[in-house]
Amino acid sequence: MKQQLAGMAEKLEAAAAVINMRKIRITLSVLWAFVGLIAWGQQSTTQPTPTYQKKVLEGIEIETLFSYYAQEGTHGAVGGGLGTEQLTDVTPTVVVNVPLNFNTVLTVETGLSAYSSASSSNINPFYSTLGGNNDDDKYDDDYDDKPSGTGRGWGSGTGAISAASTGVVNGVSTPIGTPWYASSGASRSDVLGYVSAAVAQSSEDRNQIVSANLYVSTEYDYTSLGVGLGLVKLFNEKNTELGIKGKAYFDKWMPIYPTELHEYGKYGNNFLNSGYFSGVPVWDINGIGTSGYKPSAFTEWSNANRNSYTMTLEFSQILSAKTQFSMSVDVVGQQGLLSTPYHRIYFADKPQYFIGDHTYINNYEQTSNYGVFRLADDVERLPNSRLKIPVGGRFHWYLNDLATLRTFYRYYFDNWGVDSQTASVELPLKLSSNWVFTPSFRWYEQSQADYFAPYGVHLSTERYYTSDYDLSGFTSKQIGFGLGYKDIFGQVDVLGFGLKTVDFRFQHYYRSDGLEAVIYGFGIKFVEK
Amino acid sequence: MRIKWGVILILVALLQSCTVLKEYEKVYVNDEEMLLVSRSLERFESNFQVYREAAAGGNGGKTGGGCGCN
Repeated sequence: MKQQLAGMAEKLEAAAAVINMRKIRITLSVLWAFVGLIAWGQQSTTQPTPTYQKKVLEGIEIETLFSYYAQEGTHGAVGGGLGTEQLTDVTPTVVVNVPLNFNTVLTVETGLSAYSSASSSNINPFYSTLGGNNDDDKYDDDYDDKPSGTGRGWGSGTGAISAASTGVVNGVSTPIGTPWYASSGASRSDVLGYVSAAVAQSSEDRNQIVSANLYVSTEYDYTSLGVGLGLVKLFNEKNTELGIKGKAYFDKWMPIYPTELHEYGKYGNNFLNSGYFSGVPVWDINGIGTSGYKPSAFTEWSNANRNSYTMTLEFSQILSAKTQFSMSVDVVGQQGLLSTPYHRIYFADKPQYFIGDHTYINNYEQTSNYGVFRLADDVERLPNSRLKIPVGGRFHWYLNDLATLRTFYRYYFDNWGVDSQTASVELPLKLSSNWVFTPSFRWYEQSQADYFAPYGVHLSTERYYTSDYDLSGFTSKQIGFGLGYKDIFGQVDVLGFGLKTVDFRFQHYYRSDGLEAVIYGFGIKFVEK
Repeated sequence: MRIKWGVILILVALLQSCTVLKEYEKVYVNDEEMLLVSRSLERFESNFQVYREAAAGGNGGKTGGGCGCN
């Protein structure tokens, strides 16, 4: 199977090169289809419509969504599989559905994802969380950014380190960092903004739906453009539904590298005497000053594009008056820069080098390391193509007027050696005609990717390597609940819109490598009266 | 392999039991809790799962695009 997948991946790569050349044409075609659908929809508003026909959507719907996500873990990929994974993410989102005519609905969605990440902050770990900094760009590492004075950044003078608050020294100014705590470099936070628009056109008999969509997102070091087309057919008195969808994302990195590797790339072998590291003492494993650190395995990525192509087949079927199921198969091909440019790698067959307070070297792998950071040998290297195939199925059963059973199962495999299974179950309980309480449980397992090894285990002779625990073997459990309120008559009025639903969800996520997360979600929907 | 054949057998058995419902008989399958899609708020959970797990897709969610690197 793996050989077949490898063969398919090679073909995919060749095909992707051709597709890449055609992507502008594809984008223009989808844009044309998108505009055409809107024009078609608007044109048909001028045509007489049978009075018996019901609109696909009766009025404008506005849904406001919000989520707060927080996680903690000890396998930060920026620290080469070691260090804090603390992260928070806030995502306000607005979704507006507009009926363009009896048959056509335009959906526009926009949102932000504002995150603060301790792990990402350690792209440059040599900034203080307590003191200020003079950072003036996202690289965190330009010479002119170098803070002066104290704080867990650059220190001066003599004396021992005081937890994470003052510089280390031994008579020499030196930056202080640790993989276990956040630094205050600019990469500690970022905002992803996105806009998407979709048009869905139903046929007069409602047995066919044609759709097109566009997606654009941007954050500091990454942009994404997505286009998609879909066709759904309903058969068998609408008891059977068959759909096919195609999506393509054209993404681009503006690669950011760990400080020490960025400086090596910028100044070459003399980088310890230039730029950010000029005059900074580097320690070996015994805490003795050295000038031997040279991450010669590191080269900057030449291709910063990442393209993803997805073909989806969907099938759903009513089984009985109270049961129905659906199946979905995706074939996802990705090519380009699939590695994350700032994930550090430490080789087992290379000497270790550190910056900071060398007295912490012996407990580098423990959270009591407040003041030393190991310099990277390279960034993660992953193949430039990947083929992913998930097959998912849902089965829903209306048990009685109080309870419904919602189940989901997915099997997934890819040509990086990952196999996974996902199973989830929800049991919505109708507390009244307005309130629904939904307890839920989700279980997940995956095998380790071929290219994964923990901190400091990879060898420099390997072609591909990553210490990102998202690609390790693990199981995870997610448990939570939702509480929904439905205003059947839209009695609450806001600017001509009636309240339709209010929803809240809470989920707790636990991964077997120790990562834990919680997520809160809140949504409120209004409909035009 | 046994699991795959088991799933296929279950699906065939389910399809054998299909009945064709008229619109007026769909009151239960048209219930909001019976919709064969994820809930609106689940998009946020799907997003972090895509980041924290290697698998994605198979449920109508996003399968590509965006960084996913934090």
